[in-house]
Amino acid sequence: MKENWWMSDTKPEERKILLVGIGNCGRGDDGLGWSFVEAITDGNYHFLDYEYRYQLQVEDADLIAAYDTVIFVDASQEVIREGFEITPCVPAGPYSFTTHALDPGAVVYLTNTLFHKYPAAYVLAIYGVAWELHCGLSPEAESNLSAALGFFRENVLPAMQQERIAEVLLEEPEDFEVLPG
Amino acid sequence: MNKKIIIDPVTRVEGHGKVTIHLDEYGQVQDSYLHITEFRGFERFIQGHPYWEAPVLVQRLCGICPVSHHLAASKAIDQLVGIDPPDLSPTATKLRRLMHYGQVFQSHALHFFYLAAPDLLFGVDAPVEKRNVVAVAVENRDLALKGITMRKFGQEIIRAVAGKRIHGILSVPGGVHKTFTPEEREYFLDGKKIESIDTMIEWSQAIVDFMREYHGKNRKFLDEFAEFPSGHLGMVADKGGLELYDGRLRAIDAEGRVTLDDIPADLYEEYFSEAVERWSYMKFPYIKKLGRENGWNRVGPLARINMCSFIPTPLAEKARQEFVAFTGKKVNNSTLYSHWARLIEILHCAEAMKELLHDEELMGDDLVRTGIPRLKGIGVIEAPRGTLTHHYEVDEKGMITRCNLIVSTTNNNDAMNAAVRWVVKNVINRKGTITDGMLNQVEVAIRAYDPCLSCATHAIGRMPLKAEIYNHEGELVDERYKA
Repeated sequence: MKENWWMSDTKPEERKILLVGIGNCGRGDDGLGWSFVEAITDGNYHFLDYEYRYQLQVEDADLIAAYDTVIFVDASQEVIREGFEITPCVPAGPYSFTTHALDPGAVVYLTNTLFHKYPAAYVLAIYGVAWELHCGLSPEAESNLSAALGFFRENVLPAMQQERIAEVLLEEPEDFEVLPG
Repeated sequence: MNKKIIIDPVTRVEGHGKVTIHLDEYGQVQDSYLHITEFRGFERFIQGHPYWEAPVLVQRLCGICPVSHHLAASKAIDQLVGIDPPDLSPTATKLRRLMHYGQVFQSHALHFFYLAAPDLLFGVDAPVEKRNVVAVAVENRDLALKGITMRKFGQEIIRAVAGKRIHGILSVPGGVHKTFTPEEREYFLDGKKIESIDTMIEWSQAIVDFMREYHGKNRKFLDEFAEFPSGHLGMVADKGGLELYDGRLRAIDAEGRVTLDDIPADLYEEYFSEAVERWSYMKFPYIKKLGRENGWNRVGPLARINMCSFIPTPLAEKARQEFVAFTGKKVNNSTLYSHWARLIEILHCAEAMKELLHDEELMGDDLVRTGIPRLKGIGVIEAPRGTLTHHYEVDEKGMITRCNLIVSTTNNNDAMNAAVRWVVKNVINRKGTITDGMLNQVEVAIRAYDPCLSCATHAIGRMPLKAEIYNHEGELVDERYKA
């Protein structure tokens, strides 16, 4: 990565999409979000920017305001039959929270409210099963990660290049072929 | 019937704690405790690691104040390579100071705008759906935008010197690994790509002014809420000036009498002990000569403003003088004045950052120095939340054999318990019934100390906090839990 890239005037015009990996790679499958983003960065896609977060915080509203599309990638403790799912991220209004951390919906809500920006936002949830102090994913999480990556590379990335990402991501998941890793 | 009330989790703090309130057979409050129920053992598992890893490893204690841990550990590790603070090159010292001021600036902004503002703007009895920063954003967009931008400025300073906003690395044993560039300096001065340092000073001054007016309008409540006598501990420079990076320890009692005067920070073991209680994983530090009962101190912004003789930047010093004149007291023991003190420190940090950004030595190339290695190093720093001590001992191969960390929130352990006791006795006990607003006031008292319970216990994982009520027979009769 170019040194001091963060001081550039604006993001390059072609970078309209942001991938945000959320989690902690030291907590087993909680590292799914980071692992996903890391795998995608290997492709060096010019139209994508990447960020890694332990938690989302209020200032991330400022970050995503600069993009047309943002995809939050996070591990899920809830069972997902296909191993992963992509859903639209619905802006979530005022609610009580316990620490500095926010949910994706709250961050999007703040972006709308504070910056009057309305990026298309999605959450890619990947099912994980092991959360203890440990570096590395469980076999089940690895399998789900591969499936998510396969789907993303086959369906979402081409759609991004053709600027029809919303068209793809808003379709029913059953319409897509989930490829093995 | 005796009852015990438990508040668990305490919200808008970092970490997992629990408040229990014990009622007697007549329903009157008998006692209360802030329990810290996390345990991590960080001091233990760092043993066996080479000393140069410490400044990197200890950052993982926290995602909010990693810079403070990085710098306190760095000061200790410098000594292991034979370098005391005056021996460090001017460039290295100034880069570390810049990083530290950026850290205090962003951490204080986070606490005030994100965590404390809902209580101040909407009141301590506000409905739960209003007690969060999202509600602040809806009701006061300008305030929320300023908060986000100020925090971002501090984080950008950290990123400029350490490579990353969180868990970046600047220090190496005996110095730093990079210098500052003219391009980086202009980024913070010209206001073209982000708001400039001058804007940060202007906004900091405005929020200090706002807080002074707020105190004028709400004086009685702010004076009385969780007011209790205590000692105050912090670091000072020559002549008693406020010092956040490197100085000597000073403590005063509740009346302003000096109890420790200008003690070299690395002699802390001679002057302080740490007590333990069965009901908390967090220790209770105190000044040895005053004993466990009378020797505990508050640390952090209010303590620092109370015990320093002056602030070495002009606008913040003027704000300090106004603070002292407003209270009309030599020492302020009212918990909620912590917020005003915190904002004065924000202003000081902004002024100090500007001074450093105009200092040519910041861009020097004398980065690392070495001396005669030693087996023990102690680094003390004034972190955003208060005095932070890192102590390491190593064997001849440089492997860590002992680590002791006294973090700011640990120093505030007794003070937070005293604040909770005040609320329980003066708010909950007086009213007879317990409402959600009353329980929030317990949290307001704790929150004013901006505790980082994960740092204090060096804990990890999910960190909510809880409240329970027990009767005189020790039976749980009520509880509230906020996840």
